[in-house]
Amino acid sequence: MVEISDSRLVPRLIDALGADAVKASPEDLDVYAFDAYSQGRRPDAVVLPSSTRDVAAAVKIARDCGAPIVPRGAGTGLCGGAAPAAGGVVFSMARMNRVLELDVKNRRAHVQPGLINFELSAQAAPAGLFYAPDPSSQRACTIGGNIGTNAGGPHCLSYGTTVNHVLGLEIVDESGEIERTWVEQSGYDLTGTLVGSEGTLGITCSAWVRLLRLPEAVRVWLAAFADVESASAAVSAIVGSGIVPTALEMLDRLAITAVEAAFACGYPTDAGAVLLIECAGFADDLDAYESAMHRCAIDCGALSWRSARSQQERDALWAGRKGALGATGRIAPNYYIQDVVVPRTKLPAALETVATACASRGIQVANVFHAGDGNLHPLLLYDRSVPKQTAAVIDAGNDILQAAVELGGTISGEHGIGFEKRGTLTRVFSTDDLAAMARVRDVFDPRRSLNPEKIFPSGASCAEIPR
Amino acid sequence: MIAQRLAPRSAPEVGDALRQCAQSGEAVRVEGGDTLRAMGYEPDRATIPLSMTKVHGIVAHEYHDLTCAVRAGTRLAAFDAELAERGQFVPLDAPLRAKATVGGTLAAGWLSPRRHLYGRARDAVIGTQTVLADGTLVHAGGMVVKNVTGYDMSKLYVGSFGTLGVLVQANFKTLPLPAVRRVLLAPLPEGTRDRAAAQLWALPVAPAAAICVEGFRKAIDGSDGIDGRAFVLLEGSQSLVDRATREIRSALGRAGVPETAIVDTGAGASFERVLDACIEGLGERSLSFRVLGDPATVVSRAVSARDAAHRCELFTDLLFDVMNGDVLLRVSDRDARTFDAKAEAFDDALTALEPRRAIVGGNARIRTALDPWGDPPQAIERMRALKAGFDPLRVLNPGRFVGRI
Repeated sequence: MVEISDSRLVPRLIDALGADAVKASPEDLDVYAFDAYSQGRRPDAVVLPSSTRDVAAAVKIARDCGAPIVPRGAGTGLCGGAAPAAGGVVFSMARMNRVLELDVKNRRAHVQPGLINFELSAQAAPAGLFYAPDPSSQRACTIGGNIGTNAGGPHCLSYGTTVNHVLGLEIVDESGEIERTWVEQSGYDLTGTLVGSEGTLGITCSAWVRLLRLPEAVRVWLAAFADVESASAAVSAIVGSGIVPTALEMLDRLAITAVEAAFACGYPTDAGAVLLIECAGFADDLDAYESAMHRCAIDCGALSWRSARSQQERDALWAGRKGALGATGRIAPNYYIQDVVVPRTKLPAALETVATACASRGIQVANVFHAGDGNLHPLLLYDRSVPKQTAAVIDAGNDILQAAVELGGTISGEHGIGFEKRGTLTRVFSTDDLAAMARVRDVFDPRRSLNPEKIFPSGASCAEIPR
Repeated sequence: MIAQRLAPRSAPEVGDALRQCAQSGEAVRVEGGDTLRAMGYEPDRATIPLSMTKVHGIVAHEYHDLTCAVRAGTRLAAFDAELAERGQFVPLDAPLRAKATVGGTLAAGWLSPRRHLYGRARDAVIGTQTVLADGTLVHAGGMVVKNVTGYDMSKLYVGSFGTLGVLVQANFKTLPLPAVRRVLLAPLPEGTRDRAAAQLWALPVAPAAAICVEGFRKAIDGSDGIDGRAFVLLEGSQSLVDRATREIRSALGRAGVPETAIVDTGAGASFERVLDACIEGLGERSLSFRVLGDPATVVSRAVSARDAAHRCELFTDLLFDVMNGDVLLRVSDRDARTFDAKAEAFDDALTALEPRRAIVGGNARIRTALDPWGDPPQAIERMRALKAGFDPLRVLNPGRFVGRI
């Protein structure tokens, strides 16, 4: 770990950006030691740039002083991506939060990285447009952070993840130079390479993103099943029947109980699992989809099939899904959310491993996840104040990762690697595979000053225990 | 030279071939179906052709998971046929499907007119296997549809024109085949094009492709008149396609276009002829240029490019893509002997208008004297550094890509 002892760091940052844009008091710095996953090291300074030029100036100063650089959106990340692992300067993009241009004619927007995800769709709605990627934290998380992790969300089943919606980027690199990329341009696809690189290749200072037209019709259904196995079978049947819903989400019994206690949104509490299904598109198609999916559900033993009749009912069903993480607070004081992906047909086997890994350690687990994508999010519920529970949760999480890999899946579908999973990357990739990634890192960040100790495995893990 | 031509049959054989080249100081020109031969600079040093067509076949079609894995040398048409047996497809489009390969199409980053609806080819890729210049086989991504484990290296290899590694396998997410494919053809005199393009762009049910064609004679259905045609491909359920047909007829009617013909049988083949036309040459007396840009300005950009060619006394055949903003212009002359000088003058004029135009087709001798890619992008130095990092000995397609990477 690098020790930052250069006393010129903070004064120079204040000189360049103004006192208002630099935080250096211990109590301020402590706040930025965390993200939603964990505690990192207290940074040496936090900057709040207002422009790309500010970012470039601050990067040059940090570089001169040998300080690591840690870009930060809203800090909602779940794998430690925004927590400084080695101190340094945190770049909070919170003040660069505007839509710079809403280009309705070409259905796209030029936005700053600190823009809240939900704000973009809200601003685009009057023009009949929306921004498709919608992570569950979309009312807090930022577009820049979404780009860092290639964020998904329930609707990426048919719309795709963040990378499918980013058209171009403006970044500041580790030397403080500004670089622009565009996806449809001769040359290497730097845009696609930068998305999902978790702040290790550059700092996103603005992005051009694609906007879609608001669908003409949206339908939401809730299918209840006796257990997760029959619900999983229905997922395979629906996808296999040639229908790709806009969203296809599953909640298991414990999640349903928690959600109903918190929101009373109308989930059947006697069910072992529910599927929340959304299709967006054209009215004629949706009728046909409903009858086909209903048939799949019944064939797989559905206990009930409900169609949301109004916007209000649709919102209520979605509120349950989007609020599920918070709702588990009623069951246990702490949760640890895992993020793994398996081929869709392997969902039953994966869920069985999750159940076994948790039951054998006496841990309660709720499953709330993107079933249509095969993207599991087991919520391991525990009490940090009870000795050994934290260690048991980490062990169970580890078993779940291993099972996902063995089932032909992978260790992160949308949350990222951060420092939480850097030690497990070798389960998926060979040394040669990782060396190819390191070559890219060498080109963008030869000194390893951008978000150090993230993604790439190292001998010693800096990861703190999850909160 | 270690061989006149390399034709490995497997990923390990590709690795062996590249290792040999690296050891003996030689370089390769990577070939798929050799359909996009007109693109890119000639290699800047002697190369041995490395044909990938023997590394072919579907590795897996996990149709219940909507995923598949295919070797790079597989022809697009064979790939289509195999997936269609299970009612699925991958939206991977390129000219000359019977010859073009999956790997070549990905490496060239060929942009499909259907991408506004289904995404670009790179968006359908969920994993790749690539042999690097030193012969090492590397994996990226996997067989799952969502994956943020490490850098998405596939994005870098796809569209790298074979200069960073040789793709040997690609994994895709598949889509259910649309129940119905229909082509609508309508005459599109010049005065109606602005309004027609705006109407097509704004249609509630987006067509899979909407292209305006001027010229190309019999090469494209319905484009036998100089007045031009609208070519609209619809894909979806019967009821959706029927609705779209009604809406397009009335939209084009509002733009002053009187009649719309329906082609239901052979709509797919009809669309393939549009793709083929993008690179179709006329012996040594034509070149085809591609200009990318905003959908909102596509009509005016197409007209400016075409008029520039007419001022150079060249014949033109024109395609422009209303949904994505691409302009494809073929310029030609009656005689190869007069073509070269006119084409050079036209290229100057076009480059002044569109500094990043690319040459995609044509066999005219002048082609090798022109810059095939136009102005390099702002981040060209980063790209050079990536090339140096991945292929320091310049074994792979040396000098062929943007900025002579």
